[in-house]
Amino acid sequence: MNSDTRGPRAPPGSLPRQIRDEVALLVRSELLRVESVTKRFDQVEALSNLSVELAPGTVGLVGPNGSGKTTLLRLLMGLIPPSSGRLSVLGLDPQREPLRVRERVGYMPEHECLMPDLSAVGFVSFMGRLSGLSREVAISRAHDVLEFVGLREERYRKIREYSVGMRQRVKLAQAIVHDPPLCFLDEPTSGLDPQGREEMLRLIGILAKLGGHSFVLSTHLLPDTEGLVDQVLLLNAGRSLAAGPVSELLSQRSTETVVRVKGDPSAFAAALSAKGVAVRSDGSELRVQLSDPDSRALFEAAHATHTQVRYLGPSVRTVEDLFLSMMGEGSRGSGP
Amino acid sequence: MSISAPRYVQGPTARVGRPWRILAVVEHEVLRRATWGPLLAVALVWMIVVLEVVVNVYFATVTGGSVGAAFDSPYGSVIWVLLLLIVTATVGAGSLADDIGSRAITLYLSRPLRLSDYLVAKASAVGTWLLIAAVGPGCVAAGVSAALGYVSASEALAAVAGCWAVGFVMAVFFTGVALALSSLTRRSLYAGVAIFGTVLAVGVSVSVVSGITGNSDLLYADIVSNVQSIGDVAFGLSPPYPTDPLASTAVLVLTGVALAALAWWRLTRIEVVGE
Repeated sequence: MNSDTRGPRAPPGSLPRQIRDEVALLVRSELLRVESVTKRFDQVEALSNLSVELAPGTVGLVGPNGSGKTTLLRLLMGLIPPSSGRLSVLGLDPQREPLRVRERVGYMPEHECLMPDLSAVGFVSFMGRLSGLSREVAISRAHDVLEFVGLREERYRKIREYSVGMRQRVKLAQAIVHDPPLCFLDEPTSGLDPQGREEMLRLIGILAKLGGHSFVLSTHLLPDTEGLVDQVLLLNAGRSLAAGPVSELLSQRSTETVVRVKGDPSAFAAALSAKGVAVRSDGSELRVQLSDPDSRALFEAAHATHTQVRYLGPSVRTVEDLFLSMMGEGSRGSGP
Repeated sequence: MSISAPRYVQGPTARVGRPWRILAVVEHEVLRRATWGPLLAVALVWMIVVLEVVVNVYFATVTGGSVGAAFDSPYGSVIWVLLLLIVTATVGAGSLADDIGSRAITLYLSRPLRLSDYLVAKASAVGTWLLIAAVGPGCVAAGVSAALGYVSASEALAAVAGCWAVGFVMAVFFTGVALALSSLTRRSLYAGVAIFGTVLAVGVSVSVVSGITGNSDLLYADIVSNVQSIGDVAFGLSPPYPTDPLASTAVLVLTGVALAALAWWRLTRIEVVGE
């Protein structure tokens, strides 16, 4: 590491209070805590009694447009107050200490927000200075992060000359230039072509693996979260559908097995039911409550009804499946 | 494209305090506006004011006229106000409008900065340019006059103080105008036209109505009359003044502050993150 990328040094044993506080915050086990938070805009309730606690790591904030993702980000950065409830980010209350929260947070907005008349290095170093880096450190880190995002050669060009993909990279660079322990990435793959999307997700993946950084990846593109996030918060209409580690949520939801058969599915389903196995039809597929000992019953039913089992697998395998499954339950629950 | 991890190592780094972050915005904004338009406008103000003052001071010393009146000569003219309007429009029109239009304001406010910090920084940047335009040439002219032996050092210092008095009040007023009108639009062009149009329209219409009705109180709404009064007092000229100088100062300063407050209110209505 270059010595010029470090901050001001302090003699051993007499660390400034600012640094001691920073270290204390970094070693906390809690990333975000939302307690019964409701946010209303006039008559619209953007978030309804939301409660969630997430540990450091990579978090997918997933939901359709209008589900309250951006409102939650605004609350977490202390830009708006909640109508009721409490929030905590890295152990800090964003309403009481918004500036301390924002010192420790990087934010990559979804929309276009760059300064087109600046070069990438000028812009990113300026953003670093706004986050509290000294001029020298900000410039040094701007070069580093622009190299990291693949803009080493183009860093002195004006941003107005950049393609959409390059602009997204600059947005990512400005979010991480001050080396924040937590980054909010709002739709980071928005507007990117498949290759650009792949590259962006790869960059985020590398950062997540570096350690010391947590990410909240807000997206309505569920495939973006696959293999990248270790925790997820599924939002719909301002309410939490599910929250927690992805592995736990997927295993909890994988009690059903999807079965596709060639032949008469209704006869097959009837035969399974006769054997005491819960089964329901879902379009062209059957969803079967199958525990290990019952798999024999499944093949016996197939043999008895002269059907062939063409596919057998867990109903929930991805975050997308989980989300669709939860959404399906939500709509069935709210139906007549 | 090759991807490599950043060379920096994560770890706590001492951060500079809030005043330094605000100063970073001021510095950035001042430099950002240093383009051909503002530089030409400021150069024009400097050229005209320095030439006018030095020539007038020379003639005052030759003819035995009032040196104070010579130093005051630019500040009582419509041309000086027009030149400052050009500087205000070129420097200040985009101060907020550019950030609103590009939505860069989102990035400012997602950093450890309050809205008031942002506005103070923007006001300071616009104010810096206006002080350079409004105070600078008068001070230089006083120095040149003293260097050429037209006035004594004490007379030159008194003139510098007068330049600061008039220039500071004008900088406050025009900064407020620029911020308020810049906060109302996403296009700096519209803000620039509005700055020009509003100040000129108010000034001209008030002068005309005041002339017709004979109501001199209306002149408090005329920027040129107010500046004349403040300049006359600042450079030690005797009454009568077009308006009461103290009241004129209060009108300009309070209007500037009120317009800055309007800009602040307007910014609070802008959605910072998201659509």
